[in-house]
Amino acid sequence: MELTQGKALSTVERLYQDYGFRARELKGQGEKIIGYVCSFVPLELIKASGAIPFRIRGNIFEPITKGDTLLETIVCPYYRSCFDLSVKDKYEFLSGVVIPHGCDSMVRSFSTWSYGLPYSYFHFVNIPTVCEESSFEFFEEELNTFRKSLEKFFGKTITDEELSRVIRIYNENREKVRALYELRKADPPLISGTELTMTLTAGSSLPIEEANDLFDQVVAEVKARGSSPLKKGPRILIDGACLDHIELIKLVEDLGGHVVADAICNGARDHFPKTDVTLPPIKALSQRYLDKVNCPKTYRANKAGTFEGDIANRFGDIGAYAKEFKAEGAILYVYKYCDPFGFEVPARKAYYQSLNLPMLHLEDIYSAGTMGQLRTRIQAFLEMIG
Amino acid sequence: MAEEQKEAKPKKRMTATKAAASIGPMVKEFITGTLQARAEGKQKLAYTFIVCHHEEIFRAMDVVPIWTENFAGICGAKRDAERFLQRAESLGLSRSLCTYALCGIGFDQWREELGQMPPDAPWGGMVKPDFMISSGQILCDPRSKWYQASQQFMPDVPIYNIDLPYPLFQRDQDHREVLGYYHRYIVKQLRGLVAFLEEQTKKKMDYDRLRELVDLSDRTWNLIEETYDLRKAIPCPMGTGDAMNTMVPINFMMATQKAYDFFVELKKELEEKIARGEGEVENEKYRLMWGGGLPSWFALTDFNYFNSKGASFPVETTYRMVAPLKEMDLPETKDPIEHLAWRWLGYWTFWYDKARKRPGSEPDVERLINRIEEYKIDGVVMHEAFSCRTWHVGLIWQLHQLAKIYKPIPVYVVGKDGKKEKVYRELPSLILESDIIDITSYSEVDTRNKIDAFIETLESIRMNRAA
Amino acid sequence: MILTLGIDIGSAQSKGMLLGEEGPLNSFECASGVDFKRTALRIQEELLSRSGKSLDEIKRTVATGYGSKSVVFADDMRPDIVCLAKGISSLLPTVRTLIDVGDLYTKILRTDGNGQVHNFLLSGKCAGGSGRILQVIAKVLQIKVEDIGELSLKSKKRVEFSTGCAVFAESEAISRLSQEVTKEDLLAGLHRALAAQFNSLAERVGIEMDVAMTGGGAKDIGLVQSFSEIRKHPILVPPNPQMTAALGAAIIARESLTG
Repeated sequence: MELTQGKALSTVERLYQDYGFRARELKGQGEKIIGYVCSFVPLELIKASGAIPFRIRGNIFEPITKGDTLLETIVCPYYRSCFDLSVKDKYEFLSGVVIPHGCDSMVRSFSTWSYGLPYSYFHFVNIPTVCEESSFEFFEEELNTFRKSLEKFFGKTITDEELSRVIRIYNENREKVRALYELRKADPPLISGTELTMTLTAGSSLPIEEANDLFDQVVAEVKARGSSPLKKGPRILIDGACLDHIELIKLVEDLGGHVVADAICNGARDHFPKTDVTLPPIKALSQRYLDKVNCPKTYRANKAGTFEGDIANRFGDIGAYAKEFKAEGAILYVYKYCDPFGFEVPARKAYYQSLNLPMLHLEDIYSAGTMGQLRTRIQAFLEMIG
Repeated sequence: MAEEQKEAKPKKRMTATKAAASIGPMVKEFITGTLQARAEGKQKLAYTFIVCHHEEIFRAMDVVPIWTENFAGICGAKRDAERFLQRAESLGLSRSLCTYALCGIGFDQWREELGQMPPDAPWGGMVKPDFMISSGQILCDPRSKWYQASQQFMPDVPIYNIDLPYPLFQRDQDHREVLGYYHRYIVKQLRGLVAFLEEQTKKKMDYDRLRELVDLSDRTWNLIEETYDLRKAIPCPMGTGDAMNTMVPINFMMATQKAYDFFVELKKELEEKIARGEGEVENEKYRLMWGGGLPSWFALTDFNYFNSKGASFPVETTYRMVAPLKEMDLPETKDPIEHLAWRWLGYWTFWYDKARKRPGSEPDVERLINRIEEYKIDGVVMHEAFSCRTWHVGLIWQLHQLAKIYKPIPVYVVGKDGKKEKVYRELPSLILESDIIDITSYSEVDTRNKIDAFIETLESIRMNRAA
Repeated sequence: MILTLGIDIGSAQSKGMLLGEEGPLNSFECASGVDFKRTALRIQEELLSRSGKSLDEIKRTVATGYGSKSVVFADDMRPDIVCLAKGISSLLPTVRTLIDVGDLYTKILRTDGNGQVHNFLLSGKCAGGSGRILQVIAKVLQIKVEDIGELSLKSKKRVEFSTGCAVFAESEAISRLSQEVTKEDLLAGLHRALAAQFNSLAERVGIEMDVAMTGGGAKDIGLVQSFSEIRKHPILVPPNPQMTAALGAAIIARESLTG
């Protein structure tokens, strides 16, 4: 029944619990660490500039206090937590922060971040809202602006060759994430959802090469289990924005379910799409980040002319994951105040219905304090589908 | 499904100007105008949003705009939004989302379910459009999500989404370096809109007419600036309460002669009031700025309450969606679409250079400082509407930064040793908390208690101000 | 003798202060109940009978607080912010920043030591907390509100709350109780969470020394201590801190008599 934790997963747990300790170490060795939020920041550019991208995380166990001094409580609770930890100097090892146009909360608080935090580098990447020829052209220009800004800050030219090399390393990372997801396919899964999300979260605090090594080790270690020690239970897909902690997934698994697939930022949304290495690097990045990262923030025109056709196009990746990972139920987990996801709840509900996949919609704030309330609802849902 | 009951009728707000009083019928007229146009079937009608700099294109193509934010605001002002909000909630939409959008989606779903207007729809209701023009901007997420959500209930109505970004202010980056490609992109987006409208209306764009309309709205921009500048007078002849009416021609009627004429009249009226020394309030004691946030449309009488305490609002940052064109230095172009794109960028980057010159400043903060000085402001009032991140995130920080870099009030304080010493203090500020149309978030008692305390604070400072 | 009366009708407790020429004569406090008008009259009567004075000696009455409009016999109504500033300046003139923890709201104000308010902030709907949660918890724990402070000081291992939002803190507190935490640790955790919220509110207005705490919440020694720990400096508390606004109101009444 118990999952054995070998060396790799122990490392993962340490990186997860003491988030940022490796970055702090590297900073001590003279490396530059650049923080970022959201799936839209092209990490390849940061890496190619010689710096190490570091995903800023929230902490659901930490009450938001100092952040409230500067930021309204009507901001997305996850993002408030990220800001709160930042103003409390939890990420003091950062040299700078990059924020994309992921949502209004990010846009409207950019000044609050860039004036309120003591880092020397801030950059805002504008992300178009549509996917069409002119928006890709624009986005390429915007990526070049970001590139120049990094070049200026680090005093280093980012060559196309270097960028192409880094793109390949990131693509490798996405393949390794895929390999981790493959371990979910067995029934019961070989790797728990908790372990997987913990691994991805740990990875987002590491230099990409170290993350690649770590993921390899985790895959090997989990494969060595041979067969799953877990008990069979309902296979769940989690859908939503960024879930950078394991508490919700752990709750599902404590109650007998298995999280085997997802459409979340710190999961398939971030890690599945690869960059086309046959295109010039900036063009390729523009395609990947604008088109392939499937976030509700991006408006995708209804080409089908029907509602059913439209949701099949917009959410097709979710259906594909559900099928591939044999999900038996979905949890749509949406943060309060999240406009991009919030407005899609009726359409996503309809989509899950079209898949005949039972779905539980949960609206939550970003706090461990609410897990007790969620427990009852998840339990009922698992019993219903189980 | 929803509780189909109207809330208590709101009290009518008193206006200071005749022009502001004439707005109500005007809004009613363009709502009934859309109903009529639908009945006649000669013109195409389109859902759309304000502040997209596309009115000229609409008018030139003879497309009738249905301002969906306006309709939600009307529901709010008539205290009749709750039943539509509840309907949206029952669809699975969270009450924490933009309540304009919730109201609109709830209304659309109801209308489409019935095949006719919901019972007692405010002012006859919002008609089903022929198409919807949404806009993804670096301004408001719900704008590109709202119509998409509504389309679920009217899948035959196509959407065209225009993207209108502008470069966000970054301290160490000169926005001029990126304006070129922003402009190219916006031009393409606007041309895409023209092509979409041509396809929908089966008409060709008349570029001469478009040029005339762009010229008309440019002249209107300048006229609005001149008119609003008159509010610098002491006593102030027109306050923010009235400006929440006169925002109608600015935001819903741009590129029409009627909007231009409206401001000719308003300007004349203000000049006359100034000549007579007539203020918004009889005995002006405090001059306040509405420094951020959309108003609670159901509680505009709060402005009268401020007025009753001797407080006038000579200036606001909200809905003053114009800036002096002559100070923008826009590149010359004969192409009206190119001009619209430059004007868009000029408007959003208007305070960037000034902000860069003052240490610690930022465009929104800079605008506050400039208006405080130009309009001789004693205090700043903001409103935090819980459902809208677009206009209501960043306000706390702006006040924080303003207090940090701008301390205009000299006061004597009693030091620890009992001696008086002169120090400089920031402007006092008040943040009201409620919503644009969700009346359940509003408490009149709490709001007025806060206003009372704020007025007393202003009085304290007035008495205490070092000579 | 020329007397003035300050009456503060709060949402939970109502307070009255009778002020003579030399200073306070008597104060009285009772639950606000539902009939604020009656409560106000009762305060007036109690204060007169306790001081052995007659109604015509009260030359001026100023009402403040949530239910100030119900004090029909008052000569004037003033916002509690103003009364608090006046009250605290007379009690502790070195105070520049005041945190008043009431039942419904927490109020932060800056004053210049002369009773004038410079800027203020009320806790909002979401951020911040107010005294009410302490009453709710007292009920849940079946203890007296007055005992919360002492109990919390006995805590050995403070419960860490993960939410700052008062609404969620309440349900979190209740769910924690089923996890076998002690009353003491729970209360200490709640104090910490509240104090952290007060601190962010106070920082929004800007904190200048000295800092004082008033209102019913300031009677809770555990809460004051928690706030002091976060601030890393002492927090002044006047005697009978819940009377501060009523005292201020009575002083304002006196000042307007003397001009």
